[in-house]
Amino acid sequence: MIRSMQAALIKKDLRAVTDNKRTLTVLFIVPLMMTVVLPSIFIFAMGASSKDSGDLQNLLALLPAGARIGSLSQMMAHLLLNNILPLFFLIIPVMVASVSAGSSFVGEKEKRTLETLLYSPLNLRQIFSAKVLASFILSMMVSLISFVLMLLVVEIETRLALGFFMAPGINWLVLLPLVSPAVALIAIILIVRGSAKAQTVEEAQQKSVMLILPVVLLASVQFSGIMLIGPWALLGLGAALAVVALLALRGSVGKFQYETLLK
Amino acid sequence: MEAIITDKLSKVYPSGKKAVDGVELTISKGQIFGFLGPNGAGKTTTVKLLSGMLKPTEGRCSVLGIDPAAHPEQVHALSGVVTERAQMYDQLTGIQNLVFYGTVFGLTGKESEKRALKLLDTLSLTDAKNQKLAAYSTGMRQRLSLARALIHEPKVLFLDEPTSGLDPESGHSVNELIKALARDKRTTIFLCTHQLRYAQEICTDYGLIDEGRLLSTGSLEALRAQVSSGMTVTIKADHIPDGLSFRRGEDGCCEIGVQSEAEIPAIVKRIVDSGGAVYHVSARKPSLEEIYFTLIERRKEGGASQ
Repeated sequence: MIRSMQAALIKKDLRAVTDNKRTLTVLFIVPLMMTVVLPSIFIFAMGASSKDSGDLQNLLALLPAGARIGSLSQMMAHLLLNNILPLFFLIIPVMVASVSAGSSFVGEKEKRTLETLLYSPLNLRQIFSAKVLASFILSMMVSLISFVLMLLVVEIETRLALGFFMAPGINWLVLLPLVSPAVALIAIILIVRGSAKAQTVEEAQQKSVMLILPVVLLASVQFSGIMLIGPWALLGLGAALAVVALLALRGSVGKFQYETLLK
Repeated sequence: MEAIITDKLSKVYPSGKKAVDGVELTISKGQIFGFLGPNGAGKTTTVKLLSGMLKPTEGRCSVLGIDPAAHPEQVHALSGVVTERAQMYDQLTGIQNLVFYGTVFGLTGKESEKRALKLLDTLSLTDAKNQKLAAYSTGMRQRLSLARALIHEPKVLFLDEPTSGLDPESGHSVNELIKALARDKRTTIFLCTHQLRYAQEICTDYGLIDEGRLLSTGSLEALRAQVSSGMTVTIKADHIPDGLSFRRGEDGCCEIGVQSEAEIPAIVKRIVDSGGAVYHVSARKPSLEEIYFTLIERRKEGGASQ
C-alpha cells in the first residue's frame, strides 16, 4: 500500500517537471550543450588546431600506454571521449537533480502544496524518500539518454571528420553507474537540506550549482595538462562521493520535521 | 470514545508568542463543533496541533484515541484538513488533483476517480473537472479543497474558514454537505471560523477562543445560560406607556429585556390598555455574537480587576 502511495507521489513529481515548459527547456538545453555542442566544438577544433600545441602534447603524454596507440587524431579523440567529456558530462546529473529537486521540494513549499501533502497518511520519511527518488530517477534517465546521444554524435562526427569509430573507455563504466548517481544524490540532498530555509526555487538551486565548480576545476586541470583523471582515480572519487551521498542522505531524513517545513 | 480531546493544550512559538493557552475540549463523534474567535485567536494553531503539524509545548490532545504528536500519519489517515494555506496543484485539472490525493491516501486509481466524480457533482464542480486548477476561482478552489479532504471519507474533518470566498449558493451547498456528513456518516467536524452568524447556522456545539484562551464551550443554550437567562422582546407600537423600561432599537422599534416568554402577553396588554397600537412583536434569545462579546467583556473585566 505504502509503495503505491509513494509511487503516486513519484509519478506526480515527474509529471510536474515534464509539464513545466520552463523546466523542460532547461532539461533539454544543458544536456544538448554537453552532448552535442561541446563534443562537436572539440572535434572541429581537433581537426583545425595545431598538433604542436604545448598543452596538448603534455596532455597526450599523460595518456596511459594502452591509449597511446594509433594516429595523433585517434589519441586526441580518445582523450576527448574518455577523459574530457566525462567530467563535463557530470554537469548533467547535477543540473537535472537540482532543477527537479528544487521544483519538488522548494517549489511545493513556494506554491503552498507541501502542507496539503503533509496532511497525507505518508510519514515524513516516506514523503522525503519518494521525492528524492523522483529527482534521482529523472536525473539518471536524462543522464542515460544524454550519454547515448553524446556517443552517437561523437561516433558520427569522428567518423566523418577523422575517418574512424571509437569505443568508449572504462572511465564511462565507472562514471555512469557510480560517479553520476553519487553527484546527483549529493545535489538533491543539498537542495533538500536548503529547502527548509529557502523560500524560492532559485535560492535553493544556488547551493547545488556550487557542485559544478569542482567539476569545472577538474576539467581545467586536465586541459592544462597537469593531470589526467584515469579509471582508478575516477573509481576512488566515485566511491568517496557515494559514501558522502549515502551519509548525507541518512543525515537528512531525521532533520525533516513538520514544524520546520511549514515555516 | 470521544472524537477529539484536548487536555491543557498549549503552544508557545519560538518567538515567545503563546498561541494556545491551556485549552480543554471534549468533542463527541458526529458533532459539528464551531471553534470561534477573531483572527490570531489560536484557531489555526489548534488545528495544527490536532493534526500533528505542531507539537504542543504543554498538555496533550488526541483524535479518535490517537496522539497526533506521536503518530501524525495515523491521524491523517482518519482525518481531512481544509485550511487556506493548504493548496493543490495548479498544473493539474480538478479531477487529476482529486485522483492524485485519493491514491496518496491509499485508494486505487479507479476508486479515487469514482469518488472524485461523486464529490465534484455534490460540490457543483462537474463542469470544471477537466479545467486546470490555475483557471479555478477562489470559491471553486475552496470547494475542490473540501472534495480533496473528503476523498478518503475521513472520520474527522478539520475545516478552517471553509466558506470564506464562497458565494451564497456555494456556501449553502457546502453547509448542506457538512451537515449531511455529520448526520449520516457521524463524521466529526471541527470548524474554525470568525463568522459567528455562519457558525450559529451550522454548528451543534461551540468553543469560543480569544488570545489563545478558551472563553467557554457548550451548546448554544448552555452558552446562553452562562451569559444571560433572559431574552429580548422587540415591539413596534405607536405608544409605549410610562414606566415600561425599554431601549430604542432599529426601525422605530423598542427592545425590552424579559426573563421568559410568559412575560410577553402582559407587556402587550399594557401597551394596548394604554391606548397604543401594536404592529409587531418578536422575541429573540442572545445570538452567538452577543454571547461572544459578553464573554470577551467579562474576560477583560476579570483581567482588569485582577
